[in-house]
Amino acid sequence: MSALGRLVRAELRLMTRDPLVLTFVFAFPIVTMLIIGGAFGTAPDPAFENTNPSHWYVASYLTVVIAAVGLVMLPVHLASYRERGVLRRFAAAGFPRWSFAIAQLIVGLLTTAVACALLLAVAAPVYGIPAMHDPWRVVVALPLGAVAFVSIGVLLGSLLPSARAAQAVGLLIFFPSFLLGAGGPPPHVMGSAVKTVAGPLPLTQLTDAVRVPWLGLGSATGSLAAVAAMAVVATVIAARRTAL
Amino acid sequence: MAEFDGVTVRGLRKAYGSRVVVDRLDLDVHPGEIVGLAGVNGAGKTTTVECIQGLRRPDAGTLSVLGCDPVTQAARLRPLIGSQLQASALPDRLRVAEAIDLFATARARDGGELLDQFGLGERRRSAFSALSGGERQRLFLVLALLNRPRLVILDELTQGLDPAARRNVWDAMRQLHEDGTTVLLVTHDMGEAEALCDRIIVMRAGQVLDAGTPAELVARHARQATVSFSRPDEPTALLEEISGLDGVRNVQQSGARVTVDGDRRMIAYVGAALVRHGSVPEDLAVHVPDLNDAMLSLLEPVPAGSQAIPGSGDLVGGRR
Repeated sequence: MSALGRLVRAELRLMTRDPLVLTFVFAFPIVTMLIIGGAFGTAPDPAFENTNPSHWYVASYLTVVIAAVGLVMLPVHLASYRERGVLRRFAAAGFPRWSFAIAQLIVGLLTTAVACALLLAVAAPVYGIPAMHDPWRVVVALPLGAVAFVSIGVLLGSLLPSARAAQAVGLLIFFPSFLLGAGGPPPHVMGSAVKTVAGPLPLTQLTDAVRVPWLGLGSATGSLAAVAAMAVVATVIAARRTAL
Repeated sequence: MAEFDGVTVRGLRKAYGSRVVVDRLDLDVHPGEIVGLAGVNGAGKTTTVECIQGLRRPDAGTLSVLGCDPVTQAARLRPLIGSQLQASALPDRLRVAEAIDLFATARARDGGELLDQFGLGERRRSAFSALSGGERQRLFLVLALLNRPRLVILDELTQGLDPAARRNVWDAMRQLHEDGTTVLLVTHDMGEAEALCDRIIVMRAGQVLDAGTPAELVARHARQATVSFSRPDEPTALLEEISGLDGVRNVQQSGARVTVDGDRRMIAYVGAALVRHGSVPEDLAVHVPDLNDAMLSLLEPVPAGSQAIPGSGDLVGGRR
């Protein structure tokens, strides 16, 4: 088996043994989606662009999974590997330069896919899954967003000096992004200052690129382009910074 | 630089900020040799081996390792080196057998056999975090040897190992030597260096202080041999004779205790004199200098005001 294959297999195996990571990535989006998805009822609401608020949140929360993987799980994981000398051992053992970053990308994407599937499986019997008006845009935006956030996560993990620092910075970026750009109040009820801050955030752009075409509220081409650009830039920088 | 199947380092320099850790270092490890790299803490040993492995980029100097330049050909070089590094770890939840699967390339030896050889056969299903310090050390050694490396670099090889495990590891090193593998051993343990190394390179302040076989280093730097015994009833004639013996440098009395310093030959002459005088003391003690004494002498702190770091051309003993 290739070095990359061996790394991916080991990393997937190790992830299944880390209950805390799994709790955050798998359970946090589901639990918060269940709470907030039930808070505003199911009647179409102008604040939610006349959609069913529960469906609004179901269509928003896949990106929460993506952000949890990218902003919290991966940075902490990578920084802890570097801090403890695991990356040095991989480097010394002759693992190819990019193998670790690519392995993290693959593991991050697989984790995201499984966590998203689980979230939809929980949402379906509770709130129902809203019909996808423009499935192609959604299907393009989700993996692009996942690549962008996984790369941002790999980059944060490479730049931050320790696992504790990665956790602090990751959570500091995750929660405002989550509240302003995906799982919090809809933009229509935000004040103009908050809306100005929320608009350009990467998670806001990704959520728009998924939710808008999903619920038939428009095409969100600008957001999709922004997500695609983020994916390219973040991947290039992450690959350069995270070489063993 | 001539390309050969060992390690050649010329003029290596590495600084971290303003702190120069390795300074104009020259070093050779010939193919098939076990070479020890010794020196006080902070002498630059670990940085030197990290540069040799291509894990750190030198600020200056040229290196040839197994015919590769570690800076530009790290990807080709690293798989040829098996290393056990200071300050490294494996993921906590990775099990021993999984670590073998993760690190084994197509060239790998039978990992199960290696685990058995180093007493880890029963620990295959144990997580890395559950291993003791000595078990982790042995696992790192197994991983270092797993892919049939041509050069093995071991940093603090037997630190934390019990005597039986240590003996086991030494046997494995001797087997590697017989197989023609080149070994660079960073060590503070002079017993280990004396038992395993063909040559020892001693570093201080980022430079080579001296190099040679263990016997050469002892001959050049070990303090004199010492014979001591309690004073016989009428010592004057005996002590006068001892003072004049070949190889004796100094005879001291402290209370009832007599201490004779000199080179190794004087041990035999002093013994013979004691026998001649018919007064061989029950508490006769002899201290023969060893590599540890040589190191202590060699690495003695330099007196204040004198040159702290000899230049590369000022190697003690005139050897490299």
